[in-house]
Amino acid sequence: MTLSQRLANWARMKSPWITLFNSGACNACDIEVIAVLTPRFDVERFGILAKGSPRHADILVVTGPVTRKQAPRLRRIWEQMPEPKYVIAMGACGASGGVFRGLYHVVDGVENVIPVDVFVAGCPPRPDEIINAVVACLGLLKEDLAHGGKAWRTKPKVIERVVPTEGTPVPPKPAEVPA
Amino acid sequence: MSELLKLEQVARAMEGIGTPEAVKANRIRVPTTPAKVKEAVRRALTDLACDHVVQIAAVDNGKAFELIYHLTGPHRTVVAIAIELPRDKPEVATASDLLPPAGIYERQIHDLLGIVFVGHPDLKRIILNEDWPANEFPMRKDWKPNPNTFYGGVRKEAT
Repeated sequence: MTLSQRLANWARMKSPWITLFNSGACNACDIEVIAVLTPRFDVERFGILAKGSPRHADILVVTGPVTRKQAPRLRRIWEQMPEPKYVIAMGACGASGGVFRGLYHVVDGVENVIPVDVFVAGCPPRPDEIINAVVACLGLLKEDLAHGGKAWRTKPKVIERVVPTEGTPVPPKPAEVPA
Repeated sequence: MSELLKLEQVARAMEGIGTPEAVKANRIRVPTTPAKVKEAVRRALTDLACDHVVQIAAVDNGKAFELIYHLTGPHRTVVAIAIELPRDKPEVATASDLLPPAGIYERQIHDLLGIVFVGHPDLKRIILNEDWPANEFPMRKDWKPNPNTFYGGVRKEAT
């Protein structure tokens, strides 16, 4: 590892920059994030800084169940973030859709649109839980640096076996060629 | 602020359209037919000074679509013009040329329930996502999402 890389990693660990994305939340989660930034919790003393642009951010905090309108926008914002990037899905909605689960206008959770690293439980989560999630992201960052990437913790994709059900036409077998 | 509208006043203005009934002190309901709704809105606007559309409520009661035009004015009385539309042909004349704000409610109702407002200048999507399939109306009671249809958002292959 070169000196400049070590310097960049040190800076990343010391000061994670977060950006907030509301994907159709009820605003309760967003208010808790605002509470994180304001003097009572004041995360800037830990170096956590809220940025307005996803291109400047290391951690994307997503609130809400992701409406169908917001899903392509969320995907595009996530694609704009520079690596290494981490995603925190906030609240019950971000994890599973919450009270909106199964409705016609939501895709039921952030994980259906972008890969999520940390889920925060709660409706809404408390500000200290959000700080805890950011710290958990830093722990992941440290382990990823040791493993040289994120690949070590992604599950291998399970290839689904197609089981023909009754009623579906079975494709005809190719004619056997005599040897 | 002027006085509340009297029931007789509304009955006189809505002659030949429907028999009004007082639902509350400040709310008068006028049940009518889809063919007469435009005339009812016009009379409410000119004779009863109802120049403000509060909302157009749309309900699918399982048998038919109910539309209720809530109109009010400086007298603070809500005149609710109620109609029922058949399921097989949900069409009604637009009120957006008389009351332009009604056009936005009509677009929303068209989006969610599939009611066609004949004569609306721009009856396009307002509330559903742009890639929502045509002829799918999620607020209809008999609507069920089809697992094989893509309703918008991000396709599974793209994630």
